[in-house]
Amino acid sequence: MTGMDESYALEARDVTFGYVPGSPVLDRWSAGFPTGSMTALTGPSGRGKSTLLYLLGLMLHPGDGEVLLDGRPTRPLSDAKRAHLRAERFGFVFQDAALDATRTVLDNVIETSFYRADRRKEAINRALELLDLFGVDVPPRRKPGQVSGGQAQRIALCRALLNEPGVLLADEPTGNLDPVTTDLVVSALRDHARSGAAVIVVTHTPHVAEACDREIRL
Amino acid sequence: MNAGIIREAAASARSQPVASVVTVLMIVGMILAVMLTTGRTVGAEQQVLGSIDSVGTRSITVRADSTAGITTDVLDRIAHIEGIEWAAAFSAAVDATNAALSDGTRVPVRYLYTTQLDPLGISGTSALPGELAWASPMAQDRLGLPETAGGIALTNGASYAVTGSLDVPDFLARFEPAVFIPQPDAAGTEPVNILVVIAETPELVAPVSEAVSSVLAPEDSSKVTIDTSETLAQLRGLIQDQLGSFSRGLVLALLGLTGGLVAILLYGLVMMRRKDFGRRRALGATRSLIVTLLLAQTAILAVIGITIGTAASTIILRISGDPLPGLAFMGALGILTLATAMIAAAIPAIIASRREPIRELRVP
Repeated sequence: MTGMDESYALEARDVTFGYVPGSPVLDRWSAGFPTGSMTALTGPSGRGKSTLLYLLGLMLHPGDGEVLLDGRPTRPLSDAKRAHLRAERFGFVFQDAALDATRTVLDNVIETSFYRADRRKEAINRALELLDLFGVDVPPRRKPGQVSGGQAQRIALCRALLNEPGVLLADEPTGNLDPVTTDLVVSALRDHARSGAAVIVVTHTPHVAEACDREIRL
Repeated sequence: MNAGIIREAAASARSQPVASVVTVLMIVGMILAVMLTTGRTVGAEQQVLGSIDSVGTRSITVRADSTAGITTDVLDRIAHIEGIEWAAAFSAAVDATNAALSDGTRVPVRYLYTTQLDPLGISGTSALPGELAWASPMAQDRLGLPETAGGIALTNGASYAVTGSLDVPDFLARFEPAVFIPQPDAAGTEPVNILVVIAETPELVAPVSEAVSSVLAPEDSSKVTIDTSETLAQLRGLIQDQLGSFSRGLVLALLGLTGGLVAILLYGLVMMRRKDFGRRRALGATRSLIVTLLLAQTAILAVIGITIGTAASTIILRISGDPLPGLAFMGALGILTLATAMIAAAIPAIIASRREPIRELRVP
């Protein structure tokens, strides 16, 4: 399953992680995620799918083993360097969209540009393009609390795609969506994978898993 | 700190209007409390000290009989003494009248020996050095020289043109009505009748007085008297110490209280918004950026509060007729308040920066 000889954007190598000492959620787990492919992480609740996603997203440190980005180990990197990589190389779609309810839709989409110190005007133009592309037909100055769940998840997707990330991690991105929006989100993730990114999706939805290039069951 | 961080911090402050308004109000309240208590005391203190200073808390006056043998070369010796702000020697007074009114009112005229003419409003360069007289408005009035121009005739037969108006500082008020003839090219042998020395601070009056006394070199010391304001300087020091310690205690108490309240408010805010900070961390914000953002947000609110508080308290003090504490006090209070707010914000900011994304973003 791991195919270690392939060119991976992201790779977990013998990763062990647990929240409680002595009972690991992941035990010497390995897998590679090639560029240009979309991988589904499936399995029952509590098997560590989201934990694995956060490990791959450099938000958690494995207790043992290594996460490699472009073939390079990430363990020696400082917290600041890992944060910079998250802003530069990764895109994230969280389970409940995780938008800032106090800021506008547009502010939410361009949020990561601030962490990358990108030009604000260019980020706004790109954000408006993405909002249009994903059919978010709400005024960009509206607050997320005033939009539907489906639109919120599409806004989160726009935020994740703003920097055209090489790795896109999505944690149950279609969990609360209607079938039409689910298809739209899955299609966008697949298109992004086709453009050369490694896309990893945690999902419980068979329809979403089937749309992926491969499935890894935990 | 770049414009992007300030913009983001300002946007973040705007997005939490209640907490931002409460923070600003706390700062305004603190500034008002300090300005209307300590500020008022400091203003009164400065007024009292100013009144004491006006009678010469820093002055040393040496009076020498014409036979005492003190000459203008004493100024060269005094120039080597540390702690002197200003020094000048004056000749004995010679009566003078308006040259055009031989029976006009007489005023005393003195030759002035000093290189520090600025405090008197006398221009440092003169077309006719030593030949021009400067008269105070009171002297001009007595002489009948309303246009600050004309001539004076001295009883010793000399005459001079009056070309300028003299500013008489408080410590020379005893010379009024004053007419001085600056002598920039003194030979050092001219007899001195009065020597006035101003120490840099009231505390230096006693040591400077001793040092001046040691370089007078009179031929007959019994014909020399030295008057100092040492007693006044001591009184001034006592007033300053007592009012100062009261003010400092009150300011520290109010700063501590406000700092604590700001810290509690921000800590509550961080707890309420922990998901927000977790999301920011997950999306790529470094810990230092989170800390910088929260500190910048607090600084923006503190500056707004300081500005409003200072303006409001200034208006209140003006309306009530109380003395203002002065720009130095207000500036120091502003800086101290800003520093207190930043220190108070530091701990909540560090806590915010350490939110673990996975704990905040996972939906159970």
